[in-house]
Amino acid sequence: MAKKLTVVLSQGQSQNPAKRNLEEEIVARLLFEPGIEVTIVPHLYDLKPDGPGMLCLEGISGNMVIISWMFERAARWTLDRNGIHGKIGTSLLTYEVDEDELDELEDEEEKAEKQRVADSRPPSNRYIYCLDLRVSNKVDEYVEEIQRIAAEQTPQVMQLGGLTLDPSPSNGNGNSNGEMFGVTPLQQLRHDHPTNDTYVGANHEAPIEPIRIEETGGRRWYPVIDYSRCTNCMECIDFCLFGVYGVDGIDTILVEQPDNCRKGCPACSRVCPENAIIFPQHKTPTIAGSDIVAEGGLKIDLSQLFGKPAEDPNAADTAIRERDEQLLLAGRDAVGASVGMPKRQADKPAEDRDELDDLIDAVDELDI
Amino acid sequence: MSDDSLVFMMGKFETKFPTDRQYAKNHTWAVRGQQGYRFGFTAYAVRLLQDVYFLEWSVDAPSALRQGQEIGFIESSKAESDLYAPLAGQLTTLNPALLSDPSQINLDMYGTGWLYEIDGPGDQLMSPEEYLTHLAGVWEITQRTIKGQLNE
Repeated sequence: MAKKLTVVLSQGQSQNPAKRNLEEEIVARLLFEPGIEVTIVPHLYDLKPDGPGMLCLEGISGNMVIISWMFERAARWTLDRNGIHGKIGTSLLTYEVDEDELDELEDEEEKAEKQRVADSRPPSNRYIYCLDLRVSNKVDEYVEEIQRIAAEQTPQVMQLGGLTLDPSPSNGNGNSNGEMFGVTPLQQLRHDHPTNDTYVGANHEAPIEPIRIEETGGRRWYPVIDYSRCTNCMECIDFCLFGVYGVDGIDTILVEQPDNCRKGCPACSRVCPENAIIFPQHKTPTIAGSDIVAEGGLKIDLSQLFGKPAEDPNAADTAIRERDEQLLLAGRDAVGASVGMPKRQADKPAEDRDELDDLIDAVDELDI
Repeated sequence: MSDDSLVFMMGKFETKFPTDRQYAKNHTWAVRGQQGYRFGFTAYAVRLLQDVYFLEWSVDAPSALRQGQEIGFIESSKAESDLYAPLAGQLTTLNPALLSDPSQINLDMYGTGWLYEIDGPGDQLMSPEEYLTHLAGVWEITQRTIKGQLNE
């Protein structure tokens, strides 16, 4: 029997009325969807670890869809940091990918034969789907995707039991062929008249009121680790001098003291050899958890006009500069490259996704 | 204030700049106060941004700032931008009223819509006349930037 699907909407921080409308319209539409329960929380990334928002999310045990103003990976691994685990549910509502870029990404994956932290974890028995509200501004697209995900839940369960108590989705027009596959009348009766609230009726008339969690508190800033990429190499713990990172009981890296992190500083993310460290609120898409460099936002970027300085040539230099700035702000001495910078081969350029992407774009422009 | 302002024409749009204060290249005005300089967006900046929806600081007050250091982010109906420190010094205050409701930036940019206060040397700040000369110089680039991004 199908379980309920919980849809969590993580609100944006912005007062932008268009964003608020999109959130509320999605919620309003989902209230009438059978089998879907909606919970609204403030911005997922800002939730306090022991606050009501996170406690509520921890209480959700079944399959879950989280809709937020963050990249899919950022939302997923922010949940993970708070002990909310699940198998990766694949959403079809994603950013459009340039085919050339997709090839590039796949090539990279094939090369990687390394052991990732996530590989050694026990598998979860539920799915978490993460939808990014910046992908589309059309309410219908989100509602349809959630309907698709909700429909995905049912067939899997039916296969396990070999029973077809629910009308099949392709055959759901009241067109009963009477194929019961060994279902006794008693079983069918129990199915038709459920006695518990995990039952998903096909004809919910009244809307189910959403759960709204309010939480006060400021905006937070801390890294989240993508353990499907992390190899536990410890470069971040060596590089960060503010005590953000630690290790757990089995010596796996973790963000131990998130609130020690220096607001605005993404330096550890730049030194991570696997691009596994995400700062969901950083302006650079690759640091904020995007797999793909976004094709510029819909809005005009005025940063150049408002005093944006020239960029550092590579990520390691930027990271060292950012760390020194934070050390000085904290009243400590700058350390430059003398601490926590692994010696790489001199001719091997530092990992810098942005620069690589520039190169790819330049090749595209050659029109070969 | 309106009687004592310089005017710059952004195309057909008239922007006004009070002469009782100084200006910085990142399109902020500066008024010397007790805690250093108080800064806010100029009419030029607000015209480019239009309705401000979201303002976020990546620094806390008080803290030391380097000139040109990234200090925040702004999102409006038409644009978004990172924000940078107009001068080096001690950031003493971020306007608390703007965090929950940044619309004062549009309603009263030269008054209650101020942004932050920095205590530091203001010798690079410009007079209103110098700022207008600066605007005349960057207006072409500004238009090219906007058009260039719109054509993408």
